[in-house]
Amino acid sequence: MLQVRDGAGEMLGVLFDRYQTPLFNFYSKLTGDRTLSEDLVQEVFLRILKYRQSYRPGTPFRAWIYQIARNARVDHFRKFPRQTALEPEMLPPVVPSDSAQEQQEVELLRRALRMLPEDKREILLLCRFQELKYEEIAALLGCELNTVRTRIHRALQELRKSFHQLTKGTALKRAEAAAGEHFSPRGGGHEV
Amino acid sequence: MKCEQISELLPDYLQGSLSPDQRRTVETHLEQCADCSEEVAIWQKLSLLPVEQPGPASRARFEAVLQAYQAGRSNQPAHNSQWRKRFSSWNVFHWLRSPLGAAAWSAALLAIGIFAGLRLAGPKPPSPDLAAMQSELANMKQLVVLSMLQQQSASARLEGVTWSTRDQQLDPRVLSALLHTLRYDPSVDVRLAALDALSRHSAQPQVRSSVVSALQEQQSPLVQVALIDQLVEWHDRDARPHLEKLRQSPNLNPAVRQRADWAISKLN
Repeated sequence: MLQVRDGAGEMLGVLFDRYQTPLFNFYSKLTGDRTLSEDLVQEVFLRILKYRQSYRPGTPFRAWIYQIARNARVDHFRKFPRQTALEPEMLPPVVPSDSAQEQQEVELLRRALRMLPEDKREILLLCRFQELKYEEIAALLGCELNTVRTRIHRALQELRKSFHQLTKGTALKRAEAAAGEHFSPRGGGHEV
Repeated sequence: MKCEQISELLPDYLQGSLSPDQRRTVETHLEQCADCSEEVAIWQKLSLLPVEQPGPASRARFEAVLQAYQAGRSNQPAHNSQWRKRFSSWNVFHWLRSPLGAAAWSAALLAIGIFAGLRLAGPKPPSPDLAAMQSELANMKQLVVLSMLQQQSASARLEGVTWSTRDQQLDPRVLSALLHTLRYDPSVDVRLAALDALSRHSAQPQVRSSVVSALQEQQSPLVQVALIDQLVEWHDRDARPHLEKLRQSPNLNPAVRQRADWAISKLN
């Protein structure tokens, strides 16, 4: 990063290779919008190019880049306010099927994550997917280390509840589907 | 131990940063407490979420901006970055208080005095070095703007338009790219931004004529109204026949027609 700061533009290419996928995942899991996430990743690197002089040597680069990433997202939504909040009801229902148990679980988990308030989703993404240390997150969010721990715990609690609810809902649907098949005249073979 | 106490340890347990004793305490609790163990389970399940890959064009887009940037930068004097590096890493306040700093201050004040004196005596052309540096910097900005205006993403093009407004003087290539953007960019936002950027350059005859011809081509009422307002702001009387023609278009939005009437009355 020091080389980038002092003007070696090609080093930025190395940083791009290293950070574009994590940043893209941060945005896409946070916003659920691929195109917007790609735009925001470009914006982050443009800002690195513009503001590289503000990077202080010796400070963790990862925290700095995520600081830029958070600001870029805040600025974007300030300029273009979201017209509709994503409601879980707007998503198509998960079709229960035994063959793709894991896939279904992933989908439910993704939805549960999306049901979380944005700040909770963000902190989970930062520590679980971006693998930032709690100290780095505390510096990033400007809060105490213990506050970070509490927030992560609360976010996980809420995620667990949402996931539980969604799983129950899907299990119910599966039971209904199975029952429907059992009693339907076309089910065949069950009637005596 | 109660869940409350465990919850304080849980985040560190998840990151594997507890001491062996603390870890055992947590694990014993997890065996008995369904809620807490579910919480750990969901943390582990999160790893099932796949890593998503950005589109293949992403890298090319980045390269385009970077190349444009470097093309401009490679012409800059090499000592510039060296100097900035030294300057930023010094403790400026400490330096100012040192005898050397004091001498530099005096020299700077003297230089300011001489400069002010020369300015008062009569304007002189800037030194060739400074002029060369400025033109190279401007060149770099133009390259960035040009490359950004060709990006796929509307937000990148919008950024390009914004960049173009940083200079008082507009390079002919940037001007023609902006004019093209005003007329043909698929995004309304980008076209509006381009109009805004061009509005500062009304002295260029090309700009006025493009705005007038855009009036007939644009389908978006938002852009049409912005174009009309711009023509009124410029008091462009020559635009009147074009406005008359516009208001007679059969499928014109009523709001735009009203605006055109207002503009015609203003330009009379």
